[in-house]
Amino acid sequence: MLLRCIRAENRKLRRSPIWLLFLAVPAISAVYGTFNYKMNLEILTHGWYDLWTQYTLFYAIFFFAPLIGVYAAYLWRLEHRGHNWNLIMTAPVRPFCLYFAKFCVVTKMAILTQLWLLVLFVMGGKFGAKLPGFPPPEIVLWLLRGIIGGLAIIALQLLLSMVIHNFALPVQIALGGSVAGLLAVSKDAGLYWPYSLMIMGMNSNRTEDVMAGGIWGFFLSCAVFLTVFLLIANVTLTKRDVKA
Amino acid sequence: MQIVETKELTKRYGASTVVNQVSLSVPEGSVYGFIGPNGAGKSTTMKMLLGLVKPSGGEIHLLGKQMNERNRLELLRQTGSLIESPSCYGHLTGEENLQIVAELKNVPKKDIDRVLEIVELTDSRKRQVKQYSLGMRQRLGIAQALLGNPKLLILDEPTNGLDPSGIQQMRSLIRDMPNRCGATVLISSHLLSEMEQMVDWVGIINHGQLLFQGELAALRQHSQGDISLRVLCPEKALPILGKLAKPDREPGAFRLPAMREDSLAELVRRLSVEAGVVELNRHTKSLEEIFLSLTGEESK
Repeated sequence: MLLRCIRAENRKLRRSPIWLLFLAVPAISAVYGTFNYKMNLEILTHGWYDLWTQYTLFYAIFFFAPLIGVYAAYLWRLEHRGHNWNLIMTAPVRPFCLYFAKFCVVTKMAILTQLWLLVLFVMGGKFGAKLPGFPPPEIVLWLLRGIIGGLAIIALQLLLSMVIHNFALPVQIALGGSVAGLLAVSKDAGLYWPYSLMIMGMNSNRTEDVMAGGIWGFFLSCAVFLTVFLLIANVTLTKRDVKA
Repeated sequence: MQIVETKELTKRYGASTVVNQVSLSVPEGSVYGFIGPNGAGKSTTMKMLLGLVKPSGGEIHLLGKQMNERNRLELLRQTGSLIESPSCYGHLTGEENLQIVAELKNVPKKDIDRVLEIVELTDSRKRQVKQYSLGMRQRLGIAQALLGNPKLLILDEPTNGLDPSGIQQMRSLIRDMPNRCGATVLISSHLLSEMEQMVDWVGIINHGQLLFQGELAALRQHSQGDISLRVLCPEKALPILGKLAKPDREPGAFRLPAMREDSLAELVRRLSVEAGVVELNRHTKSLEEIFLSLTGEESK
């Protein structure tokens, strides 16, 4: 049942303008990061590690969560317009499957976005910053952790866009949440705020691993936030009347 | 068998009761017109039948089974619906829209060809839906509902916004559903005139209450109106007519209330002998007038 729902969600992304944003947002971070790195070579002396700090400075803190917000809001706008949600909710599938299929599709897009950032990072390092060798393997680990940290954001943004029949407001909440997330990380309270988890997972703007020795707390926090948001979504879908 | 049966179905939002103890009964193989003015409670009732809105009270039986959370999906598998307006993704083609619904309903892809043919959209299947006219979108909505060969079709105002030719196309499409697809159709509208050529059963709802339910023929029986009569000698007619008649505008003209045919025949026989009947007219109410009088909208 879930696979059928995921296939249906994937079809909705054909010819979608969302792919332009998917390409553009990480590219803006890459151009900015490479430019910034080259302008500050006298203080940025750790090669690939310092380039990573410049790439993630804006990407993880300001771009990632709003981009997830746009992905989620777009998928929900398709349902809110033209009463499509009535049609989908009268299909013989469990309502939570419909939500979880959207979660899987946005997660897929988040993974592709991270992969696209990795490609841009390697290209920017080799051809833009002219760095020797290849990026350190930790970068792949940090990207993976970024996805895990992003899962709670995906669940939350889908929940917000499901309830709020407006495209921009959930995206603005994501931006506000990210800024608050940066403050939470700086106060060592990142594990208690869902929008901080991606920033921490990506090791954003740091050369040393911020989670060295404390990875389980990160995973636990991700699991707790994710479970809570999925449960709220399930209750909302099964107990409330459908408003298309 | 009744394909849809509700018992005292009720929906309240706070202090406001939008559907009040409605007991619908839709026979198998019928095209049932669910008619009422805007805001009468039609859409809410239909949404409750589909599980989109939770009832505040009452029971719903679909396809012979009482609907509950456990069997909702099983019943939805045998039900097709179009609620409020055509539901489509404009950036996708008609065929891709149907593929999404076929995927969710777990229906083989070849069923898409069948439903496209029924709604006569085969030639437009590769066009993006945003290029479709409203009539084409409505037909695509019907095609989505028909996927999987459902036993019950629930269509909420599918003729809304259509031009006369679109209404005509939709009318013939829906009228043929029981024979062509074996489906029972429950269709709503706020216009009885639009429905009377396509439905055989009617339910009239207003302010959340079901005012009439029965065959269209039974509704027509409500159509008998006043009788107007003109005689040669009104002074001789008066003792025969008694208090029944009210003088009309013309000399020798009277207006009588509706009465049984045998009583009328006897009255006319006596009047012909005593007073000379020169004109007799039986006024019939149009279905629209009956609808308006039932819903209390006549004076508005």
